[in-house]
Amino acid sequence: MFSAQAAPAAQALLTPPSAEASTFARVLVSGYADQSQPFLLGERSFSRQYAHIYAARLVEMRPVLEERAREKWGTDVVVRKLCELRVGEKCCVVGTLFKAMQLQPSILQEISEEHNLVPQPPLPKYIHPSDELILEDELQRIKLEGAIEVQRLVTGTVFAVYGSEQDDGKFLVEDHCFANLPRPLPWKGPTSDRFVLLASGLGLGSGSGESLLSTQLLVDVVTGQLGAEGEQSCAAQIARVILAGNLLSENTQSRDTINKAKYLTKKTQAASVEAVKMLDEILLQLCTSVPVDVMPGEFDPTNYTLPQQPLHRCMLPLSSVYSTLRLVTNPYQADVDGVRFLGTSGQNVSDIFKYSSMDDYLEILEWTLLAGHISPTAPDTLGCYPFYKSDPFILTTCPHVYFCGNAPRFQSKLLKGEAGQRVLLVTVPAFSTTQTACLVNLRDLSCQPISFSGFGAEDDD
Amino acid sequence: MAAAGGGDRPGEKGVERVTYKWLSYTLGVHVNQAKQMLYDYVERKRKENSGAQLHVTYLVAGNLIQNGHVCHKVAVVREDQLEAMKSKLATIASVHVYSIQKALLKDSGPLYNTDYDIVKTNLHNCSKFSAIQCAAAVPRTPAEVSEPQTSVQAGSQTPSDTNAARVPVVNGHGPSTSKQTSQQPRGIMGMFAAKAASKPQDTNKETKAEAKEAPGVSAVSSKPPAKANIMNNFFGKAAMNKLKATSVPEQPKEKKEVVKPSVPVAEPESSPNTVVEKPGKKTESSRIQQKDKKSKMKRVDKSDNEEEREPENLKKKRKRIKQLVSDSSEEEADVPPSPTPEEEKAPSPPPVPALKTELEPASTEVSAGGRKRKRKRVLKSKMFIDEEEGCMVTEKVYESESCTDSEDDFAKAKPPPAHKQPAPPVKKEPKEERKNLKKGAATANRANKQVSIMGFFQKK
Repeated sequence: MFSAQAAPAAQALLTPPSAEASTFARVLVSGYADQSQPFLLGERSFSRQYAHIYAARLVEMRPVLEERAREKWGTDVVVRKLCELRVGEKCCVVGTLFKAMQLQPSILQEISEEHNLVPQPPLPKYIHPSDELILEDELQRIKLEGAIEVQRLVTGTVFAVYGSEQDDGKFLVEDHCFANLPRPLPWKGPTSDRFVLLASGLGLGSGSGESLLSTQLLVDVVTGQLGAEGEQSCAAQIARVILAGNLLSENTQSRDTINKAKYLTKKTQAASVEAVKMLDEILLQLCTSVPVDVMPGEFDPTNYTLPQQPLHRCMLPLSSVYSTLRLVTNPYQADVDGVRFLGTSGQNVSDIFKYSSMDDYLEILEWTLLAGHISPTAPDTLGCYPFYKSDPFILTTCPHVYFCGNAPRFQSKLLKGEAGQRVLLVTVPAFSTTQTACLVNLRDLSCQPISFSGFGAEDDD
Repeated sequence: MAAAGGGDRPGEKGVERVTYKWLSYTLGVHVNQAKQMLYDYVERKRKENSGAQLHVTYLVAGNLIQNGHVCHKVAVVREDQLEAMKSKLATIASVHVYSIQKALLKDSGPLYNTDYDIVKTNLHNCSKFSAIQCAAAVPRTPAEVSEPQTSVQAGSQTPSDTNAARVPVVNGHGPSTSKQTSQQPRGIMGMFAAKAASKPQDTNKETKAEAKEAPGVSAVSSKPPAKANIMNNFFGKAAMNKLKATSVPEQPKEKKEVVKPSVPVAEPESSPNTVVEKPGKKTESSRIQQKDKKSKMKRVDKSDNEEEREPENLKKKRKRIKQLVSDSSEEEADVPPSPTPEEEKAPSPPPVPALKTELEPASTEVSAGGRKRKRKRVLKSKMFIDEEEGCMVTEKVYESESCTDSEDDFAKAKPPPAHKQPAPPVKKEPKEERKNLKKGAATANRANKQVSIMGFFQKK
C-alpha cells in the first residue's frame, strides 16, 4: 500500500535540523499515450437528428451481440430481425432498448399549452412502476414482457433477447444478454510501484472554505512538501494526477445572467472567474511537480453535451505554460505506463442512476462495462453530440482502469472477465464533500483511498 | 524578545503563525529542514520555559482501516489531538510539525490562509523547496506555446497572452517573430493585434505584409514602452508615440516599401528625431501616399503625440509627423498608395504645407466653427482597459473641452481628405492656435480622439 514502507522513519522529522535534506526525483512516465481522439470533436454540426447515432450504435454492436447470443443460447439459435418474427417461434432478437417512462421530463409536455403543466421539479429518480420496455431495431419496435427487469434497464442499451412473439404482438422474453466485457488489452504495466492519483469534484468557488485546506494538503502531498521522508519518497512514485471533472463548484453556475436584465449584471463578474483563477494556481503548483490531466465536468466552463471538450488553455495562463498540464476531454482514455485508463466525470453514471433502479455507483459502472457502452442514455436523457457515422462511446476494448468521477463515495472493485480481462473499477468520490481521492497502483491494479482533514472546533480527531 | 532570541530565525515570533511552508519559502530552505527547524525551535523554547506559550499543530499521516479497506489518512491536528490520532491509525507513515502559533487555533482555517498567502507570493517557484523534483515539468518556450495558435484568428487572441498576440498578427513568421517580439515589449505587437481587431481584415493583411519587416524591427533598439501591457495593446498611445518616434528616424526609407510593424520598437525620443528630420520628411510625404482611411488611428496617435511632447513644440511636431506617417505606412502595409494620388502633389512644396493641406478640412471646420476656444461639456465615450478585469470598458463621460478640438478630432473619423490644396498661409496662425488647444484638450481624452494630421504641422 502507499507509504507502508514509510512507517519506520515516520517520526524522523521530529528532530533538530539535519545537514542535508533528501530530494526525490519524480518517477518518469515513459509510456503515456492519449487515446481520446474519438472524443475530440472538430467541426461540429448540429443540423442532424439523433437517429444516426442510434443507427450507428446498433450496426456496430449487432455482430458482437449475435456472437454473445450464440455463445449463450447455442450456436443454432435463430437470430431474427423484428420484421422477420413469426408468432410462437423461439428466436433471438438484437435491438436497442427504449424505456417508456411516465415521469421522464419531456420538454414537449412542458410547453404544451393544452396541458398547462407546471414544469416538473427535478427528482432523484424518474422510475415508475408503470414503465415499459420496448425493443427497437432498424425497422420496427416491439414491446417486451417476461423475465426482464424493467426498472433496471435504461433507454439506449443495445442487447439481445431470447424469447418468442406472442399473439398479442408483444415479445415474451425468456432470457437476455448484453455485449459483456469487450476484448482485453495486453498487459504492459510496470513492475514496480507506480501510482496514479484520481481526484474529482474539487468544487472550487463554492464560497465555503471547508475543503480548501484539504485541497491544499492534497497538493502538498503530491508535490512532496508534506510528510516525512518516507512518505515523500512514496509520493514521488505518483506518476500522474487525473482530475475527473467538476473542478468548479455548482455554485459558480450562477443563473443570474440569464434571469436578470443585462444592465444589472453588466458589471458583476461571473462566479466562475475567481474559481478558475484559484484552479489555475492549484494546477500550477501541481504542474511544477507532476503531470496532470484535467477533465471537464458538469459544472466546468466547457460545452454541455458529451463528449465534453477540453477546457481552453487561455483560462489557465499560469499553468498552461507547463507541458505537464494536459487538458483532456470527458470521457478520457489514455495509456499510462502501459495501463489503459478510461473514465468519465460521472455524468453517465449519475444519469443512469436517475433512470434506473440501480443505486450503487459501482454497480452502475460495472453494468455499463458489461453493456458495452459508456453512456447508453445519451442522447435520450443525457446531452450528446449528434454523431453521424460512429458512436465513440461503444467499448471496443477493455480498459485496465475504468473510473467515474463525482461519486458520492469511494468504491473500487477488481473485475475479472472470462477472456482474461482484468479491470479495476473505481468510483472517485467528490473531493469537496468527502476530502478523499484515490491512489491507483499500476503494478497490481489496486486502489487505495487517501483522505485529508484539518481540524475544526467541532472535530474530535 | 523572541525576535532577538531565535538566532537563525530572526523575527520569527514577530509573526502570529509560522507554518513549515512559510518558513521554507521565507528562509529558502528545503521543506524538511523547515519542519525540523520548527521542531527544534519548539523544543528549545519549551526547555527554556520562557513563559511564552507556543501552540503547535502536527501533521499526521498513516493508514487507517475504514469501511473494510485501508485508507491512507493525512491530517493536520492540534497538539492535544496528536496522540488520539496516532492511536487511531494502524500504521503511521509520518509525523512532523506543521505550524507554530502563539494563540490556540480553533480550526485550521488560518493555517490555510498563511499557506495560501505564501504560496501566492511564490507561485513562480512553488516546487523549489519541495522534496520531489520533476524533470518533466519545464515551462514551454514561447515558440512552442505559440505554435498551436498560428491557426487561430488574430482577432480572437487576447492581448494579454503575449505570444498569442504576436503570432496571429505576424502570420507566417511564428518563431522568428516571436523571438524578436519577445525582445520587444509585448505591448507593441499587442497593439497590432488591437489594431487588427479594430481594423478588420485590412489590418490583418497589412500586418502580414508588415511581417516582412521583422528583420528591420530587430535592428531597432527596443526600449519597453511606458506601459507594456494591455493598455498598450489597444490604445498604446504612449507606446505608439515612442515607438513611432524611434522607428521613424531609423528607417525612413526602407519603410516606404516594406511595411512593417515599426511600432514595436520603442526608442529614446528626442535627438534622433530631429536629426533624421529631413529624410523623415521625405518619407513622410511618400507615406502620405500610402495614407488611407486609417487616418483615424493616426489622429489618435497624433493626439497622444501631442500630449507626450508638450514641452517641445517644434520637435514634437516633427516627430509626430514622422510617427504619423510611419504609423500610417505601418498600418496600411499593403494598401496601395493609389487611392490618394493627390497626396503626391504635396512632396514638391515643403512637407509642412503639404501635410497642412490634409488638415485643411479640419482647419476649415475649425474656422467654420469659429476660433473660439470655448470650453464646453461634451459627452464622450471613454474607453480604457480595466487591468484587474482584463477587459475594455467604454464609458460615456462628460468632458470639458475646447470645442475646436472636439470638432477637429471627431470630425476626422473619416478618411483623410483626398484633396490637397495648399492652404493659404494666413490660415496658419489660427491653425496653430487650434493645434495648441487641441493638444491641451487631447490630453483630456485619449481614447477616441481623431486628431487631424494637420495639427502636427501647425505648431511650427
